[in-house]
Amino acid sequence: MNAASVIEVDSIVTRFGAQTVHNGVSFSVPRGQIAAVIGGSGSGKSVLLREIIGLQHPTEGRVRLLATDVWDASEEDLAALRRRFGMLFQDGALFSSLTVAQNVATPLIEHANVPPHLLGPLVRLRIALAGLPVEAATKMPSELSGGMRKRAAVARALALEPEVLFLDEPTSGLDPITARAFDQLLRFLCDDLELTILLVTHDLDMLRGIVDRAIVLSRGKVIADGTVKEVMQVDDPWLQSYFRVRTMLEGPDNNRGT
Amino acid sequence: MSAPARDCWLAREGEQATLFLSGAWQLSRLAEIDAALAGVAIPASAIALDGAALTRLDTAATLALLRRLSVAGTSIGKIANFGESHARVLEAVKGRLGDTDVESPRRPHGVLALIGLHVIEFRGLMHGHLDFLGRATIALRDIGLRPRLLRLKETATQFQQVCVDAIPVVILVSFLIGIVLAYLFGLQAEKYGANIFVVDGVAIGTTRELAPIIVAVIVAGRSGAAFTAQLGTMVLTEEIDAIRTLGLSPMQVLVIPRLLALVVALPLLVFVGDVASLAGAMTVANPLLDITPTTFLERLHSALSIDHVIVGLAKSVVFAGFIAIIGCRMGMTVSRDSRSIGVNTTSTVVQCIVSVILLDAFFAILFQELGY
Repeated sequence: MNAASVIEVDSIVTRFGAQTVHNGVSFSVPRGQIAAVIGGSGSGKSVLLREIIGLQHPTEGRVRLLATDVWDASEEDLAALRRRFGMLFQDGALFSSLTVAQNVATPLIEHANVPPHLLGPLVRLRIALAGLPVEAATKMPSELSGGMRKRAAVARALALEPEVLFLDEPTSGLDPITARAFDQLLRFLCDDLELTILLVTHDLDMLRGIVDRAIVLSRGKVIADGTVKEVMQVDDPWLQSYFRVRTMLEGPDNNRGT
Repeated sequence: MSAPARDCWLAREGEQATLFLSGAWQLSRLAEIDAALAGVAIPASAIALDGAALTRLDTAATLALLRRLSVAGTSIGKIANFGESHARVLEAVKGRLGDTDVESPRRPHGVLALIGLHVIEFRGLMHGHLDFLGRATIALRDIGLRPRLLRLKETATQFQQVCVDAIPVVILVSFLIGIVLAYLFGLQAEKYGANIFVVDGVAIGTTRELAPIIVAVIVAGRSGAAFTAQLGTMVLTEEIDAIRTLGLSPMQVLVIPRLLALVVALPLLVFVGDVASLAGAMTVANPLLDITPTTFLERLHSALSIDHVIVGLAKSVVFAGFIAIIGCRMGMTVSRDSRSIGVNTTSTVVQCIVSVILLDAFFAILFQELGY
């Protein structure tokens, strides 16, 4: 298996009419890493994510995911590829007419040959791995809090043992305590289950806590790529003001010069 | 030890039994792995696991293994030759094994209990409608006292949508109904040479009963459902809460304009339906029954008392009130998940149509007794 890079994004260009969102975005993510794409609102982070997983066609450029060319693959190859990654949408996108357990069971029933007596336990295992209490299994998505909905969506994304997990703003709308617990969940998935994780985030605490690598999008390009410490040193006005917000909150002593 | 090409096998060295795992233990092979595990006679004493020949171990396969062991009442004594990541997966699943038991599903309700539940639900629904009607009436009184409260622009927009936009479909359907009625009456009347009475039948039948009902059903499907979907979406996106927070009343801003627009629109649409169905009847009367348009109109003039038309129009005002109240309330009571918009919209259409027909039956008896 190609251990070098699981996700390869090669000179992506995206235009909506006259507006250019990406102007040659390239990066790659190796196996077993938590990588974060950051950037201001409107810098095309979510669009990039949708282009990587094959939901939205880039104007130019190539995306290779798990050694499959996403925008050049046949429908069968793409279907096979889709079983190897999971996606967490911003609001969870749980099926609202199904219970949490049924949500998690859906991909298993459709795509995996699970013996009937193991289906229930396997669904419960996914729910437990996502850090939800057992009682949540029989609840409807509308009965869950925001944090629990995100976890339920993670459980569904994990159903088919994906190798890669994509997350769009996983901690948005969560309180800091819930958000940090969510960070730990991602770290566990990455370390113990060896998932590769690519996420889009605005959450500075998450960046500093668990992210191995930050990819900064600005003005349609990748302006910085490296560990969070490295990225913080990059001399770019937007990046500097981005990290300065934090300094103002915590005071200059315990932040700068890391 | 020689390694047979299978997923797992048991070996004993004295007292110690060891389960050897081999190959790719992953979700895509779960059925085979589970079958292989079922084929091994697992002893009740603690056993050791050997993972030297494992190429892959994921959580699903680990779950299958651990559940087999726990069913056999076996504990894991020793773990040998597991890769670092495989051992971590094993630990992760082991720690959550207790959560994976599935309780027996809840027993479904019996028929009697279901009937009871539905009756209680129905009572709640009716109670809610009545409450909503009351609050709408209070809002209308407020407008009566302070006409400035009326949102003319929103009312006009709603009127455009429920009335003007509905005219083509009302004309089409009523015209066709007029043709069918004249044709059916004509077939019977011709046998007795009573052709001219077809005009009486069609005129009274459509203006008094059919046009109001048909048009009300069309409007229930068009506008009642639209009210529920519009307001339901606004509940989901918290727009209704925003209206309340800004110190406005959703009743004044959203419900009353829809109610007024519909109450004005439905009689007008019914009148359009009356004209269209009579036109339809007139179209077929000439070739089919030798009633010329002139004769048709003359007969219409003498046979159709204005009372019938007024009864039809008056009924439609009440129909409109019911459709608007049901449609708006079902929209406002959407719970905060997207499925419930669909459920409530369906329910709106069913409730509106049933109530229109019930009301019509009630009016038929009422006007009979009153002598209209």
